[in-house]
Amino acid sequence: MATQLQSSRLRRTAQWADVRRRGMGMWAYTLNRVTGIGLLVYLYLHLVVLSMLAGGPDMWDPFVNLARSPLFLALDVILIAGWLIHGLNGIRVTLTGLGFGTRSQKSLFVGLMLIAGIGTVVMGIMVFGS
Amino acid sequence: MEDLSEQKPAPTTAWLWQALTGVGLIVLLALHMMTQHFIAEGGIRDFAGVADYLRNPIVVLLELLFLVTVTAHALLGVRSILFDLGLSARAETTVSRALLVVGILTVAYGMWLTWTITQQI
Repeated sequence: MATQLQSSRLRRTAQWADVRRRGMGMWAYTLNRVTGIGLLVYLYLHLVVLSMLAGGPDMWDPFVNLARSPLFLALDVILIAGWLIHGLNGIRVTLTGLGFGTRSQKSLFVGLMLIAGIGTVVMGIMVFGS
Repeated sequence: MEDLSEQKPAPTTAWLWQALTGVGLIVLLALHMMTQHFIAEGGIRDFAGVADYLRNPIVVLLELLFLVTVTAHALLGVRSILFDLGLSARAETTVSRALLVVGILTVAYGMWLTWTITQQI
């Protein structure tokens, strides 16, 4: 009985992540959660990395050189893509949650994701250009 | 397109806070990125640069506000995902309290780190 209940809970929990044969609305919802979880992991990683500042220049400055390497810059671009997708999709979720633009959700989502794509390319050029 | 908003009742207080912090984050993250990365040489400051940056009390205030806002937004998101497990009312209260403690500890850590850096200036 307990195992059945746990299994049912797990199915319900995983429901939001299963986008197979689902509409674009579910894709948008899942995308928001997946990027949100990624950004949460990044937030705490970032805070851990910043603890090196407590060790002064001897600890921090060698990391700065590493952070300017192409691999780190590529990770920065992925991070920026996550922000843009989550942020712009979040604006859509907020608007529709408050009752605005519910009938044009699909075009709103497509348009905002297009902006996220263009924004990522532009920011990527800026990151590697700096 | 499935309209998920029509499947939900009126927005909850937690949902409204998440939306509000989300809007705030657009401004605070943009400020953080511009001041900490885009105008910094090489995209990231060395220790002397960070220390110099933190000499301005307005900057410290804005960075702490950013930390409080991003932590609240992130943990409200975790709460939302955990509540989808179909928790009992008691478990929901426990989760909310635990996340509040995590949030307080996160902000306290940020304040300690800022204080530690400014002490080395």
